[in-house]
Amino acid sequence: MAILQKNVIEHACTHDKNEIIHVDCASHVYPDGSLGIHEMCFRVLEKEIVSLCGPNGSGKSTLIEHLNGLLRPSSGSVTVMGKKVDLSHSGIWRDVGVVFQRSDDQLFAPTVLDDVMFGPINMGLSLEAARSAAMDALKAVGAESLADKMPNYLSGGQKRLVCIAGVLAMKPKVIAMDEPTSDLDPMHAEMVEKIILGLKNEHGISIVVATHDMDMAARISDRICIVKGGSIIAEGKPSSIFYDRELLEESGLKQPGVVQIYEDIARSSGISIENRPITVDELVKTITLKRV
Amino acid sequence: MSQLSPHIPDLDLITFYSEKRTSFFSRVSPWTKALVLLLIIVFVATEKSLIMNVCLFLAVLFLYAVSGLPIKKLFQWYVMPLIFVLSLVIILMWNEPGRALFTINIPLMPLTLTDNGLLMVLTLVFKSLATVTYSLAFLMTTRYNYFSTMIYRVFPSPIDQVFLMSYRFIFITLNMVDSMMKALRSRGGGLLKSALKQSKMFAELFGLTMIRSYDRAERVNKAMEARGFSGKYVASTKVPGISLIESIALLMTTVFVLYLIWFVKAPF
Repeated sequence: MAILQKNVIEHACTHDKNEIIHVDCASHVYPDGSLGIHEMCFRVLEKEIVSLCGPNGSGKSTLIEHLNGLLRPSSGSVTVMGKKVDLSHSGIWRDVGVVFQRSDDQLFAPTVLDDVMFGPINMGLSLEAARSAAMDALKAVGAESLADKMPNYLSGGQKRLVCIAGVLAMKPKVIAMDEPTSDLDPMHAEMVEKIILGLKNEHGISIVVATHDMDMAARISDRICIVKGGSIIAEGKPSSIFYDRELLEESGLKQPGVVQIYEDIARSSGISIENRPITVDELVKTITLKRV
Repeated sequence: MSQLSPHIPDLDLITFYSEKRTSFFSRVSPWTKALVLLLIIVFVATEKSLIMNVCLFLAVLFLYAVSGLPIKKLFQWYVMPLIFVLSLVIILMWNEPGRALFTINIPLMPLTLTDNGLLMVLTLVFKSLATVTYSLAFLMTTRYNYFSTMIYRVFPSPIDQVFLMSYRFIFITLNMVDSMMKALRSRGGGLLKSALKQSKMFAELFGLTMIRSYDRAERVNKAMEARGFSGKYVASTKVPGISLIESIALLMTTVFVLYLIWFVKAPF
């Protein structure tokens, strides 16, 4: 069962030993008076993929910009690696990288290699060390062949890979991605999903994904946070959150395709819902077991 | 840009050739090409002879052609520099001392075009075309990352930073204008519908481009700050140096140009 609003604030605002980021009841009001996030409690643990799921304008992107220090909360606080983010802690970008929703906003250098080297150079690395870090990052996302290309002539999928490499080259503890698969064709979307899983499993990096792609969130996430009206109204394991149809509908979201299919099959066949599959593999296994 | 006019240099096409790097001129060091440009500028600034400037233009045009660059496009692009030069000399060319060719009788101020006035127009036209042609050949055979590093090394901050930041966003802004033009045309709009609509459309495009560019600039700045940008962007590409053969050729060309400027007196 998903943890609902009142409980989740208490739960998420409790400090955990292995947490990297802690957002403590943060609110942010934009200069035009609109509320970005409100009493937001959120945390990122070591080596986990946490998805922020919510409709457009729910506050996902605003929260992500707080994680990197691009925005400062109007009230409440953000703590990264045990240090409270304020004007004295301006190096937060070294620990938390952000991959922006629009790749064109992120890629500005004349070549891919120059762009990926940008972060490492800002970290104080020598040109040779930065070049080496950039090439390693490009290799990690399978984009080393693009090193000499101009960003303007890359496809949407290639641009996204380069954006991820640009952040990975700084070797952050956490990478926050804003709609990482939006505007991508299925093949590139799958590639990005694999990279996200690889970043966690092979590089030990925690990933925060802001998305309204419920299918992707179901496939990759260790934890789901439902964002609505600038706050997290529920959080839990994918199998808990995605089987709570009422919660998702209330939040302006839909269940992942696998869950919808499984519930329809279970309903029409009169089978009770037990295993709660959330991926295609789990669904196939569950249905096969039921038949046997 | 192709959506606006075929007479405005197409940045995408220029970049295509510069990245393709198939011509022999692409293999010449960017520094050598830059120094040749400097020589051309010195030549056109000091040499007043029409014949000499026509020769320079023909030499540069030959270089452009043998580099495999598109000649037809070049002639389309000449419209802009020609308009620019003619708009300047149209006032200066009258009443120059020399043999009168014809006179326009305007009350109080008759305008006479002399042979020297005409020579001045032609000389300035060929000077500008030679410089434009070589600059385009330079642009179309040199990768942008080489350019950016050269500018980073040669120019002081913040001029270098402005250039480094602006180039990529020229593409984005042009794409934005292209998209807006397509959107306007898809709903019956068009630049040549009528003089009134045209000016209104230009104003709308200009306004929208400004607003969207500002919005985009803010997002780009945010993305740069997210990776630790603190006001200084470093261009790090290694630019191929001037080879020994190029050094010798450059030295000989410089001597030849100086000889032409100082010792050769053409009839006109």
